[in-house]
Amino acid sequence: MGKLVQKVQVKNMMGLHTRPATKIVKLLQNCKSEVSFTCRQETINAKSILSILMLAAARNSKITITVEGEDAADVMKNLVASFENEFGE
Amino acid sequence: MKTCKIEEIRLKGTPISRGVAIGTPFFITAQEDVIPEFTVGLEGVEEELLRYRRALGRSFEDVLKLQGMLEKEDFSDGISLLDAQLQMMRDPVMTTQIEAEIASSQKNAEAIFQKHIFRYQKSFQSLQDPFFRERFKDLQEVFKRIMSYLCAREGTSLAHIPSHAILIAHELGVTDIVEANMRGVIAILTKSGSHTSHAAIMAKAKGIPFVSNIDPEQLKSLMQHSDVIVDGRTGEVILNPGPDTLLKYRNIQKTVQLHSSSLKLLGGLKPETVDGYAVRLSANIAMPHEIDLVHQHHAYGVGLFRSEYLFSSRETCPLEEEQFSVYQAMALKMKELPLVIRVFDLGGDKNFLGYTGEVEQNPSLGCRSIRFLLKEREIFKAQLRAILRASVYGNISILLPLISSLTELLEAKALINEMKKELSQNQIPFSNQVRVGCMIEVPAAALIADLLAQECDFFSIGTNDLTQYTLAVDRNNQAVSFLHTPTHPSVIRLLKLITKEAHNYGIPVSICGEIAADPRFTPLLLGLGIHELSVSACHIPAVKNVIRRMNFAEAKRLTQYVLTLKTSEEVLAALSHQYLKIVPDDCLYNCEVTRS
Repeated sequence: MGKLVQKVQVKNMMGLHTRPATKIVKLLQNCKSEVSFTCRQETINAKSILSILMLAAARNSKITITVEGEDAADVMKNLVASFENEFGE
Repeated sequence: MKTCKIEEIRLKGTPISRGVAIGTPFFITAQEDVIPEFTVGLEGVEEELLRYRRALGRSFEDVLKLQGMLEKEDFSDGISLLDAQLQMMRDPVMTTQIEAEIASSQKNAEAIFQKHIFRYQKSFQSLQDPFFRERFKDLQEVFKRIMSYLCAREGTSLAHIPSHAILIAHELGVTDIVEANMRGVIAILTKSGSHTSHAAIMAKAKGIPFVSNIDPEQLKSLMQHSDVIVDGRTGEVILNPGPDTLLKYRNIQKTVQLHSSSLKLLGGLKPETVDGYAVRLSANIAMPHEIDLVHQHHAYGVGLFRSEYLFSSRETCPLEEEQFSVYQAMALKMKELPLVIRVFDLGGDKNFLGYTGEVEQNPSLGCRSIRFLLKEREIFKAQLRAILRASVYGNISILLPLISSLTELLEAKALINEMKKELSQNQIPFSNQVRVGCMIEVPAAALIADLLAQECDFFSIGTNDLTQYTLAVDRNNQAVSFLHTPTHPSVIRLLKLITKEAHNYGIPVSICGEIAADPRFTPLLLGLGIHELSVSACHIPAVKNVIRRMNFAEAKRLTQYVLTLKTSEEVLAALSHQYLKIVPDDCLYNCEVTRS
């Protein structure tokens, strides 16, 4: 329980486009924590695919992930891993 | 008083997929109609929220069902696009905002929903990056579907289409065709849509009559009663048909049915002429699952796998691993039958991945196909490596599209060798039997066929592009499409030249263009010395049928005669005449034949 914050970088070629955005929201579907992304001073709800797309995070964008809730540690671990492996692309 | 007589009207469009249908039209309107906005009051809010959730739920089910259909077709990119649509429908931010505003404004759900979609549209449009701006398109699909349920109003999505309807729209995508087929659509009419679009290929494969270049508004304004006849053979659309015309077309439908059921009996029989000349009859495919059809029709192999379609709706370039696993699975599924993989034929009229940015003034003469691949070498190399690695699992050949000079062929071959070397160094196995073929679809290539034949293992003639480039005609341009005639003596002479040089240098030559699938051309093509015909699986029975009924010696005589003819019309007449003699009962191609 608690609030976790971590910075990641978008590594995949086309940035956070439809496919990665779909993967992210599916990953967060059943999690209990609140999750948000902050990019260029804009903060959005990471469970919303439309909000992720409108972030327009291109390759190499820096994103701050904030997770708050009982499963925060697991959620953060999975999210960071997804960014790391470029969402399996 | 005299009643106004209902007049039969014939509209002429561009025929895309053959077949005849009689039915009631169903219009999909492109522009959004004005959505009514009214206040429901506090007591109406609950009902509006319920309506919104119901529309969401039904749309969700629709897309799930559609996904199931695509899964059967192995169309993974379509599935992931729909996946995104599902996530948009359950987007918590959108739903919360819309529901909150319905409650606070006490207005009807569709008005609020539309308002929010407009807001999203504005936000997306304000994005700097054009690639992300474009993502609004996906949301628009979702919007249309939900709205059509919300308004219980027909005509914004395929959700309400009755079965046995003729679908009329401005433009259709691939998933639309799958959904149309799922919902029992009997014919398709569109304003725009080209022969080479994925939608067109899908409609042909499903045997749905399809005519493009038909203006929906014009059609609507001229229609006086509900029956419409679509003649996918000629591109004619008949409105307000009289009893005689209806009877005539019902007879045609019967004859078509009889003929196609007789073709089913051909099953495992060999494609061999009456006098014993055996032909290789292969399949053109765009999706891996179509290999089932190859076995079903006892085809010789896959003469053309259009690899670019696999990734056509993708946003990013597929990596080597992903391609490898697709090609490997295909090779295994082919069970040692030949599989010819044409490397990405991109550009021209096929937009691809992120490479849609630069608008070329003249795309068919631009950086497409092999030119694109030789420029974007990393993409080309990844594909070549994936193909080579898969080659140990079956009988794979590589086909290079749009070759127009020996230099290009040699450059591509050098790259293939470089990749082989790389793989050997890393001790990754590949087959040494991979043959490299050249597509002959540019007159320049045809004229140097002798030079190319010495440097490759086989020719595959793409007659669609060869005709377009020889005659300088864009067949998707309605003003000149009538000039796109593969029966033009110039095209026939080029075919003769190509086959002659292939024979001289002892390499096989196949045809994978549309004329290979048109049974009227079969005697001429065999007479010219073509070894192999590669056609969409659905056309195999008709072509096999004419092969089994014709005489090779006679075909050679016909060919000699055709080579003396002076115009496209004369050639077409000669081919049609001969076909009518060989297969008198096929009224899909003999337009005059009906069984009374």
